[in-house]
Amino acid sequence: MSGDIELIGVFSDDAQCAHAIEKLHHASIVEFHTFSPFPSEKMLEAVDEVREWGRSPVRKFVLAGGITGAITALVLTVGTSWEWNLNTGGRPIASITPYIVIIFEMMILFGVLGAVTSFFIKSGLPSFESATGYRTRFGADRFGLVVRTAESDSAKIEAMMREAGAEEVVREAA
Amino acid sequence: MSANRPASLGAAAARPIRQPVQLNWSRLTTIAVVLVAIGIVGTGAGIAVGDPRQVWLTWLVDLLFFVGIAQGGLIVSAGFYLTQGRWAGSTHYRLAESFWRFLPLGLVLFLGIVIGRNYIFPWIAHPVANKVKAQWLSAPFLLTRDFLALAWMTFVSWRFILISNTEEAVIWHHEPDTIEMPPVPVRRIAPLLAISYAIVWTLFAYDLISSLSPQWHSTLFGWWYFATVFWSAICTMSFTASRMRTLLPAGNMFTRGKVLHDLGKMIFAFSVFWMYLTFAQYIVIWYGDIPTETFFIIGRAWHHPWMLLTWLCPVLLWALPFSVLMGVKPKKTPAILGSVALLGMIGVWILHYILIVPSLFPDTLPLGWIELCVTAGFLGAFIFCAIPGLRQLAEVAVSDGLETSHEAPAPH
Repeated sequence: MSGDIELIGVFSDDAQCAHAIEKLHHASIVEFHTFSPFPSEKMLEAVDEVREWGRSPVRKFVLAGGITGAITALVLTVGTSWEWNLNTGGRPIASITPYIVIIFEMMILFGVLGAVTSFFIKSGLPSFESATGYRTRFGADRFGLVVRTAESDSAKIEAMMREAGAEEVVREAA
Repeated sequence: MSANRPASLGAAAARPIRQPVQLNWSRLTTIAVVLVAIGIVGTGAGIAVGDPRQVWLTWLVDLLFFVGIAQGGLIVSAGFYLTQGRWAGSTHYRLAESFWRFLPLGLVLFLGIVIGRNYIFPWIAHPVANKVKAQWLSAPFLLTRDFLALAWMTFVSWRFILISNTEEAVIWHHEPDTIEMPPVPVRRIAPLLAISYAIVWTLFAYDLISSLSPQWHSTLFGWWYFATVFWSAICTMSFTASRMRTLLPAGNMFTRGKVLHDLGKMIFAFSVFWMYLTFAQYIVIWYGDIPTETFFIIGRAWHHPWMLLTWLCPVLLWALPFSVLMGVKPKKTPAILGSVALLGMIGVWILHYILIVPSLFPDTLPLGWIELCVTAGFLGAFIFCAIPGLRQLAEVAVSDGLETSHEAPAPH
């Protein structure tokens, strides 16, 4: 969109940044992104309220991975035991007791692989382009809120950020 | 930050710590006294007209179970200090310490083990063949060392309680935003208490439980046992918290979602830990397949009449807490958390019963009025001893609740 600008609000406190997000939400402005030097619960809650993300979809992949791992391990252990048909100390050929360890470990392994894979996919990673509006201090001691907006609305949004406690609002051409 | 929250150590010291809370304690006292009376009459009748073995074995089951809860609660509190857990002001410390007054009484009730020793320990009538083991399993030596060990635990616990109730400790409870370590006396007594607990309760596991089947041995048994006792204290705390939430005035600390949530997480986590230790112990015995190890499991898990009770334990101690408390909402819902915790406590009692009684009654299930009366007596004594601690907890929970009144309450 020609004539758009980016407003970068710099906050010293995550609660202030979260408050600014809420203000934007009330003004029906939902196109923004944030920067935080650590996973701030306050900001995550505010963003979650706007985006209505709800529960992470990663959990479904973990469950699917865990079930797949457990079944794979069961088939592997019981199947190879039947295939080789070795009698160990007079116990049943397919003895579930020791296989529980392998089933458990493979359930964890596949569950973790499901979690990591889905996390990268759902997060759009790896990303080789730096996010617009990023400042190195957002990785140190400041919180950032970046809004892309039309020049005509910029004064209103800047006022909202300052009301919420922004110590600085930088304007950049989009 | 709320207006009541201390902004500094000075402000915290000046803040009134407790709020007066009016609850019907006399009703609970009456219930406790009636239960104790039932226990005294039942114990006397059991010895006079019943089987004294049932009386003294149940006495041992109940002594270990209730002393375990009282002691385990203090270990939970020591654990809070050692991990600097300050998520509920003083409330979770007082909750864990509510039952400690049963410890001195437990020391007195230990004399029942001395009186009933000939009915409890089979190796008194039939000494074991191994000379070294026979020296260890000598009644005067065993009873003296276990009594002294319990006396030591009672003494250290009493010192711990005194230190945990100092103003310095209370101020530290209410400063969650600082990175201050707990007061120096706490840092000294809490590790001493925790290490003493691990050693003494390992000793109790071997002396008072596994020695009833003197041929049996498992190197993990002591560790597994004190982890079980620790978990039973967490269940008792959670059950108490879920009841207190309803009984205390609105806005008490237990109406804060995070308190029940954290207790639920502790039940869940240590339930998984218990199952892990149980399986770790079981699989070694399974692999070894040595008769002196397997008979203890086979008699309980695969033969009637003990099979059903034995399999009920992993259900109540692991399957139920694991499946029910997996989500956030059940942990925050008092009725669900309280029910799981109560069933967990019942499960731990059954576990004590199946660890002890089948060693002397391998083919019969002696579960009748004698067991009921003796257990009622112990329950009454436990409740009676817990009342002062619960009163203190009620006051602290209300006071701390006022401080955190800005937080969202848990669902009903």
